[in-house]
Amino acid sequence: MEKDSTLIKGGDYGGIRIRDAGKYVLLIVLVAICIALAMTTPRFFTVQNLMIIVTQVSINALLAFGVTFVIITGGIDLSIGSIVAVTGVVAASFAHPDTYPVIVPIGVGLLAGLLFGAFNGFVVTRTKVPPFIVTLGTMTIGRGLALILSKGRPVSNLSDSFNFIGGGKVLGVPTLIIILVVFFVVCTVILKKTVIGRYMYAVGGNEQAAKASGIQLSTVKMIVYTLCGGLAALAGILLTSRITTGQPNAGAGFELDAIAAAIIGGTSTAGGAGTMTGTLLGALLIGVISNGLDLLNVTSYYQQVVMGIIIIGAVVLDSLKHTKNG
Amino acid sequence: MRHTYTRFISYSFFFITLLTGCSQSSTSEKGQNSESKKLVVGVSMLSMQNEFIVNVHDAMVKKAEADGVELITVDAERSALKQVEQIESFIAQKVDAIIMNPCEVEASSPAVTKALAAKIPIINVNSETSTKPTAFVGSDDVESARIAMKYIAEKLGGKGNVVMMHGYMGQAAQIKREQGAREILKQYPNLKLIAHQTGEWDRAKAMSLMENWIQSYGGQINAVFAQNDEMGLGAVKALTDAGLKDKVIVVSIDAIPDGLQAVKKGTLDATVFQNAEQQGSKAIETAVKAAKGQAYDKETLIPFQLVTKENLAKFLK
Repeated sequence: MEKDSTLIKGGDYGGIRIRDAGKYVLLIVLVAICIALAMTTPRFFTVQNLMIIVTQVSINALLAFGVTFVIITGGIDLSIGSIVAVTGVVAASFAHPDTYPVIVPIGVGLLAGLLFGAFNGFVVTRTKVPPFIVTLGTMTIGRGLALILSKGRPVSNLSDSFNFIGGGKVLGVPTLIIILVVFFVVCTVILKKTVIGRYMYAVGGNEQAAKASGIQLSTVKMIVYTLCGGLAALAGILLTSRITTGQPNAGAGFELDAIAAAIIGGTSTAGGAGTMTGTLLGALLIGVISNGLDLLNVTSYYQQVVMGIIIIGAVVLDSLKHTKNG
Repeated sequence: MRHTYTRFISYSFFFITLLTGCSQSSTSEKGQNSESKKLVVGVSMLSMQNEFIVNVHDAMVKKAEADGVELITVDAERSALKQVEQIESFIAQKVDAIIMNPCEVEASSPAVTKALAAKIPIINVNSETSTKPTAFVGSDDVESARIAMKYIAEKLGGKGNVVMMHGYMGQAAQIKREQGAREILKQYPNLKLIAHQTGEWDRAKAMSLMENWIQSYGGQINAVFAQNDEMGLGAVKALTDAGLKDKVIVVSIDAIPDGLQAVKKGTLDATVFQNAEQQGSKAIETAVKAAKGQAYDKETLIPFQLVTKENLAKFLK
């Protein structure tokens, strides 16, 4: 018993210390880029532009929160972009004006995402197939489902109340920002303050040790994939609301941006380490760069190169820290 | 990175199509001329995820049913490699004619060469390959952008600042629509292109891009030219949210149903209609003529039409 707890504790403590250092590096990089942009273009550092950045970041950040849970347990979820499409199309189908109250499309969309996530979790826990392969499969299934449900055409003509949830403003603040803040807090609490959060780190840190200490691996994994599906559904509903249409081809490639945000934020692909703050910073970094390069009218070719360098840089930084500590 | 995944998706999606799409792959049995041998036409489409392409295909099915032609349709899912393989299998099946909606100008060309070598007429629909096929049915994308940009120039009195949203960089449609737009810009020296960037044909991406442009150029932008309606609608949303829609003209291409609705509401100023129905039915017509050895047109160009509030009724079904 004693041995088990030290194992988990050891991984946890060490992980947090290293991650914190990484978090500060990231914060410094983010601030430095912001200062550089503010000096280059006067348009950057305005309340309005900063709000736009956070709004644009929010959907990727929500997806990244979900995938952070999964990566912490040592898994991966490639299907979230497809979940965005499926849930967006599903929600849109129930969101035409004068049909159902706005709670119905939200509820049905979320349910679809949770079920999709639970299915991922079910296959991952019941078979020996690696999560990469399972979710690669469900990514394709999801894309197909979205096309089948929408017959390959965008689902439009949505009610004003539905379009408000992802496109409206409350007291001048875009709803997307409010929702982002709420779910950032919720996800942080789940990860840091609950038993299940600690179990996630334990499972990702050392699966055998976690199992030996009596943690139900399959339950933890079911929960993270379901959570991830739910957050992807939220992102899908919000995206649909923001662009006022359910697009079967929406969200393609979103999984990569979300995973990139988590990794830039210091989530270890080996599992056992990562924080929501780091992920949020990672998502913000991606958003700031993309917004800044647009403001500077840099062509998208260079934008992609810059983004790739940052992703690799983040991982290199991460591995350097490990060698120093190890 | 993304391309690898797309490849994965394409392959795995292929199996799904096998499972779910069988019902749509073969059509029409009402052969009025069942005594004579029924013509079989193999069709390889660029992507059945694209609404316009689906509309072209629907028109083909309709025309084929009316003419008693059997269609075998396959979806190349934007992969030229896959498309070439599909054409090879059509050749092996000894179809009477092939209609190809090419994925790429260069990479889809071997398919044309192979079909011609097997003496099977091959008709390109909607877009071109560098190797000349038996016949081409489609529209000239350059023309669509000329029409759109000309409308902007006239609306602004030949003077003002324009931003342009590209599709996926390097795709034939993107290249040609940019070319057409730039031709017109050259004729109006006071019409300035102050920014251009890709929106990847996507509404959400275009919306973010427009938001960023509004930040950097604000009231300076007089008009937006988006290379497709999806992006045009994204720009409209961003401009409306910023309270600028009344001051900025937005014009795009394709005339998809959402685009037409927006023209009706007055949020999208104009779109350019590409006639999917005519492209589809003319393609079948040409394929049948070529297969029967009758005279046919080597090139059928279906004209584009500008859609504004004034002539909208014609296009709304």
